[in-house]
Amino acid sequence: MPLIEVSGLTYTYPHGAYPALDGISFSVEAGEYVAVVGANGSGKSTLARCLNGLLQPSPGAVRVAGHDPSEPEGRRRVRRALSLVFQSPPDQIVASIVEEDVAFGLENLGVAPDDMRPRVRAALERTGLWELRQSSPRFLSAGQQQRLAVAGSLAMAPACLVFDEATAMIDPAGREEILRLMDEAVAGGAAVLHITHDMAEAARARRALVLSRGRLVYDGLAEGLFELPDLPSLGLGLPEGAVLARSLRLRARPGELPAGLAARVVSAGLRPAPALANAGAPTTADSSAGALPPAKAGHDAAAEAAFRLEGASYRYLAGTDDERSALDGVSCELPRGRRLAFVGATGSGKSTALQLVAALAQPSAGRALVLGRDTAAPATELRELRMAAPLSIQRPESAIFEPYAGDEVAFGPRNRGLSGAALADAVRRAMDAVGLPYDGFRDRPSRALSGGQKRRLAIASILAMSPDILVLDEPGSALDPVSRSELMALLFRSDGGGRSLAFSTHSMEEAARADLVAVMGRGRLAAFGPPATIFGAGWDPGWGLKRPFAAELAAELARAYEARGFDPAALAALRSAVTPEALAAALVGPSGALGPAAADAARPATGPSPGTTGTEGGVA
Amino acid sequence: MKNLEFFSRISIGRYIERDSAVHRLSPAAKYLWLFAFILPVSALKSAAAMAFLAAAALAAAALAKIRPSFLLRGFLPVLPLVGIAAAFQIAFTAPGDRTAVLLALGPVSVTAREAAAVGGMALRFLAMMLGLGLFTSVITEGDTARGIEDVLAPLSKLGFPAHQLALAVAVAFRFIPIVAGELEGIVKAQAARGADFGTGKGGPLRRARAYLPLVVPVTIRALERAEALAEAMEARCYEARGRTRYVKAEGGRYDLVARLAAIAFAAASLAIGFALPW
Repeated sequence: MPLIEVSGLTYTYPHGAYPALDGISFSVEAGEYVAVVGANGSGKSTLARCLNGLLQPSPGAVRVAGHDPSEPEGRRRVRRALSLVFQSPPDQIVASIVEEDVAFGLENLGVAPDDMRPRVRAALERTGLWELRQSSPRFLSAGQQQRLAVAGSLAMAPACLVFDEATAMIDPAGREEILRLMDEAVAGGAAVLHITHDMAEAARARRALVLSRGRLVYDGLAEGLFELPDLPSLGLGLPEGAVLARSLRLRARPGELPAGLAARVVSAGLRPAPALANAGAPTTADSSAGALPPAKAGHDAAAEAAFRLEGASYRYLAGTDDERSALDGVSCELPRGRRLAFVGATGSGKSTALQLVAALAQPSAGRALVLGRDTAAPATELRELRMAAPLSIQRPESAIFEPYAGDEVAFGPRNRGLSGAALADAVRRAMDAVGLPYDGFRDRPSRALSGGQKRRLAIASILAMSPDILVLDEPGSALDPVSRSELMALLFRSDGGGRSLAFSTHSMEEAARADLVAVMGRGRLAAFGPPATIFGAGWDPGWGLKRPFAAELAAELARAYEARGFDPAALAALRSAVTPEALAAALVGPSGALGPAAADAARPATGPSPGTTGTEGGVA
Repeated sequence: MKNLEFFSRISIGRYIERDSAVHRLSPAAKYLWLFAFILPVSALKSAAAMAFLAAAALAAAALAKIRPSFLLRGFLPVLPLVGIAAAFQIAFTAPGDRTAVLLALGPVSVTAREAAAVGGMALRFLAMMLGLGLFTSVITEGDTARGIEDVLAPLSKLGFPAHQLALAVAVAFRFIPIVAGELEGIVKAQAARGADFGTGKGGPLRRARAYLPLVVPVTIRALERAEALAEAMEARCYEARGRTRYVKAEGGRYDLVARLAAIAFAAASLAIGFALPW
């Protein structure tokens, strides 16, 4: 008997116009590792909630370990067999002490106190939290909190663990930990259902189910995912490694590491393109970590910069028992009209740096100059400065406060003094730009929009103010690949007015497309420079980040070609190629250049290309 | 507050970890002692009794190995209130107050009775602050909730939802930083778009009024977060009945002694306190 059996499952939310799940049928055997893939709103989370009875499926549609979650006693038994780990780490924590939280599920099952201790200990040890067992979960990082949620599930010894986008809100290092725990759970005999829209993560599973608009459109081996026709229409995109393989006219192999692909590239007879060697090479200026360009003629230099941090530090809750340092002596500068990406682990100071740039916080030491003005100077009009450099907070949709979409967008420009036709025009342009047409959306209730639409509405409310600097904290987080690359393309698109952009991201592929990258670590600026340097020659594994696939591949290739006696000078362009397009342009095939078609093929889905003017290169 | 910082990062409660006889008490015994202390502090009028109760709290603090200065830090924000109350006490002489005038300054005079009342009030505040401060310093967040359940356990046999009440308290603790975090997000999002937060402009009324429109969105977000937490609890098989408990909170033989002592303490303080002439 299969562990999970779903037959003809249809689910429509109360007041829903169309079913969120429509005639789904599949079964999962004990110990299977299955990825459930689909865009935002495809029905993945609804499926998870139907499986364990958080939503009520129709009787007989779902059976887990032989029990039916549509009736109370069956639901009780199903939840013992199938444990759910949710997306948002803090929203799953019940207790005020780590080990008590792990015990919560066991307490609910009525396990005798003496039997609980060894189970709690084992779960904490498996998740690497034993040392932290007496801590308050609130002060754990998001990655640790998510491991705590997994520990709580593991302690209940379920036959199946369902991870509902459990890696979407944590940084890459934390994500690796969760993926490792999934592998271990499978090795330990449990079935794992991994709900995700990240194709690289999905490819780790043996089998994949693909959902699109509530329907099951694929049920097969995970490696078959990459061969699906028309991935963008499913809201999915290939991981950068697969995109690269294709653009180099090679077959995409799920889960392939850069070294493996490099070997195939070399044996396919591709070589560095000598003619392009200099064209693609970066200028090696201002690449030294954290160094400010010399302040020539004092005022002018500062006025040219979109922002300039000079030894800026920030301490939270200064003067209280809970005081802690968030930023420590950071110096860097963003010239006007350029795009800067902040990268680094959770808690490395990215968000704090962005708040200094947006004048929402003032440095506790050092200076922050925004558009040439010192944010701490008494003469500075903070309100005006904030509107010239408005911050879009993390998950900005959570801060939408106007009942109607149009009013939400109008809030900013109205505060900038616009009214009447000028105000309507600003709102119209911003809403049209983000793909929420003014005429169709201005009177829609904000709450009724989908998650992705809310994100775009929040971005429109910033764009409508025609800011000089866009400041965005993880603008693409938790969006599916297509929505994400559309959004980044929109933000990278120049409006012709020399608008500057400062954003934080956990995607190194996105950062590789910025003009400058600031690498943060423990509140300090670990490195600062153009992506070709940061991800190329200046790369330091000690940062604890994951190098973009293209950059890793380029480094592997440069090493291989050097060993084969290619002129090191000719490899310079290859070494600084950190995006798929740059890499495709730096190589020639056996019969000459790969041509523009290859560069085009390299563009889709993993991120925006600077300067594209269409809505999205790779989606069409 | 120029930096738009809220309390999402602050630690709640002021539990201080020490190895002491007071800390080792069960949460229920700690609650009993809190009630046994607060009851005479609120019911009695005698200034001498207040002085005794404040001294008792200090003695308990010493037993708990907690410095009194730490407990009194929480007293500081209340001081202006005490000052205002004292001023009223002195400004308006009670009719028929024939006690000796200790100090006269123009139309304002301080009689012996007024001085005793002001002193008693100050001592009452002091005792209250010491007692509450000590309680929060020796009880953890988790025990705060568990203690309620244990104290009310006898009533739960009559159908009183002691466990649910304890859970509500625990979740309320959890939600203080969550709501503060949501508020911080919305304030920042609005300030970035020109709302008047933290610019140092306007009087206190104007500044307070800026927060009014936030009530609805923050409440909605808090409800959404509550729903997410409820789902997570339900997914982990939460049901109010048939639960066991991971943390032992029974206390030993001395715990029973401590509970009985709490009752004796309250009874004795009340009996003697009411008998005292001043």
